[in-house]
Amino acid sequence: MLGIGSVLTLLAPFLPAAVIVVLTVLLAWLVGLLVGRLMRRGRPQMTEAARRLATVVVALIGGTIALQALGVSADILLLVVALLGVTVLVALRDPLGNYGAKYFSDIYTPFKIGDTIEVQGYSGKVIEINPMTTVLLSDKEQLISVPNASMIRDVVVNTSPQAWKEVTIPVSISGNIDLPAFESAALKTLSKLRVRLDARFPPVLTTKARSPQSTDLTLTLMLRRPEDRDAITAEANKRLTEVLERLRASRRSAPTPGSAR
Amino acid sequence: MPPLSICINTQTPLVQFLSPSAGDRGIEGAFEPIDLATLREGIDYRYSPGGVTRMVYPLVRRLLKERVLREAHWVALNPHAPPSARLGDLTLHNVSIEGERMAGYGKVKEVIWGRIHDLDAIEEHDELFWSEAFSEYAYYNRITAELIRRLDERFDFDVFYVHDFQQMAVGHMLGTLKPKIFRWHIPFDVTTIPEKWRSLLSTYLNSYDVTVVSARSYATSINALHPTGKVLRMYPYVDPDDYSLPAEAQIAEAARRLGLTSEDEVALVVARMDPIKGQDYAITAVGTLAKKYPRLKLVLVGNGSFSGSRTGLGLSKSAVWRAHLEELVKERGLEGRVLFTGHLGQADLDCLYERSSFTILPSVREGFGLVTVESWIHGRPVIVTERAGIAELIQDGVNGLLFDPDKPKTLVRAMRLLLDDRTGKLRARLARNGRRVAKKCSLDAAEQAESEMLAEVTEA
Repeated sequence: MLGIGSVLTLLAPFLPAAVIVVLTVLLAWLVGLLVGRLMRRGRPQMTEAARRLATVVVALIGGTIALQALGVSADILLLVVALLGVTVLVALRDPLGNYGAKYFSDIYTPFKIGDTIEVQGYSGKVIEINPMTTVLLSDKEQLISVPNASMIRDVVVNTSPQAWKEVTIPVSISGNIDLPAFESAALKTLSKLRVRLDARFPPVLTTKARSPQSTDLTLTLMLRRPEDRDAITAEANKRLTEVLERLRASRRSAPTPGSAR
Repeated sequence: MPPLSICINTQTPLVQFLSPSAGDRGIEGAFEPIDLATLREGIDYRYSPGGVTRMVYPLVRRLLKERVLREAHWVALNPHAPPSARLGDLTLHNVSIEGERMAGYGKVKEVIWGRIHDLDAIEEHDELFWSEAFSEYAYYNRITAELIRRLDERFDFDVFYVHDFQQMAVGHMLGTLKPKIFRWHIPFDVTTIPEKWRSLLSTYLNSYDVTVVSARSYATSINALHPTGKVLRMYPYVDPDDYSLPAEAQIAEAARRLGLTSEDEVALVVARMDPIKGQDYAITAVGTLAKKYPRLKLVLVGNGSFSGSRTGLGLSKSAVWRAHLEELVKERGLEGRVLFTGHLGQADLDCLYERSSFTILPSVREGFGLVTVESWIHGRPVIVTERAGIAELIQDGVNGLLFDPDKPKTLVRAMRLLLDDRTGKLRARLARNGRRVAKKCSLDAAEQAESEMLAEVTEA
């Protein structure tokens, strides 16, 4: 049987690497938090993506340093990762392009399911946006599948009435946040923007997807003036983030969860 | 159609808990309901007066009995109640919200109700959906939708049936593809709805597959908002078997207790104490006729609603209205000619219907007016405001008499017609024809219409 001294001697070479891993995890969490805070006025999806990217970069650097501490050559490791990356990119160039385009069009392209759009000479009602294509239903009841890459490469015209007015903001809240309290507080704070919004269309939160971990909602706002789009979007995002932070804080300090029976 | 599992949602609960200890039983969030059979009716709990008990409950029981439904859950706002209770085949689930939020919710629902009934200036509440109070209205609807969603995860309902404007956002908030039906019980006249309300109202209504209203004119009006779902007209209903024919001695005893003599001509108004119910029109009309008809007495039956009751939401306006009416009686010198009975049990109410010469539905606006049907069941002639949904079933002079609440003389004229009917021929004709029409508003008719709708919406 090995004594404590022998075990320590055996583990000693791994200690620096273990310390680096722990520090990396901490640093990655801190950097993620910092990026989240810095981008709080941005669109939640972009903020989340940036946070994840920063976390992954820190984790990669930390991981490489940890491997070096174990005596593994970082050069070989980086080469393998790079080759794998290039192979995947070449093999999946088109699907990845469409997938990436879907991601960005979700955020930046001003149309949503239910809108009528024109793209590449095709016209129809958007009935589906999947990771690869956007599916339109034409007036002749034909299904038209448009690769998502076209949505950010080509000119897209949204012909839905009052489409310019509509701002839809995706909101994802974690399962431990009290949804009724969030909605109530969100409507309260967003009502302060009413002079900039079309008074006939109060803010509406619509549930898009649910899981035990989170609820995906869409906030719909209707602008009074088209040039306010960016400012309103940023302000609404900021207010929603503040509401979420407030609810998270009150949850941490509250002894029991929400009031719903 | 295989029997369905349904989730019903009303604001008013079927059962109100009277004893604090009864309400305290049950564990927050627990699914094991209290069995009402272990509690005492009238002491621990009571049935809520009004449409929920008279209409929705009998229908659910009937649909369960006829195997149109196999399971029914009922979600309602019930602050002083355990999380859930069992009533025969029915499971009641109660929603509770805190006092401050309740005040905001109550304010919004009163404003919507008042505006729909055209009680104030249309511009006055333009900004309602932007108000802080509206966020509490949304809160109540969301908390209700969340409870229903959790129940759905457990019981996998086939259909959701949401009643009344207080809950109209629930369908939208549920975010389910399962069929949803919405019953709009109050009047619907698109011209009474502020421009700034229409978009949100449409958003909510569009989340339902079917919207049910009580009169043809309401359906026409709601269609002006171009809802994506179907709009159906279905008459509200009662179960005629719930109404008994009391013995002469019982009627005489009840009349004596209420201060009526055998010579009195009794005009009866059955309505909760609320300005919209127009009891003041009836008092004013009696004031005009009092001298010529010295035996004429007006009996006003009714208290506040669930919203105004102590065991309900505590948003009372009924006491203020009753005080106003009592003042009006005093002003007109009608003490002893106008009687306030408060809430009456069904047995006493049956006696009073039988003792009455005719009934009046004097409402300023009325979603339907089931008391008219009750009156017909008791074979009593009716005088009905033109602004009630049931007015579309009334042929003036054939099965009832209509009056215009904007023209008080028309009510006086209608009362005079009945009071001068010495032979009783007119009263008999109106009552006889009315009884025939009442069948359209019976539980049997409703069972058929609702079953067809449920089949259509779940099999579409």
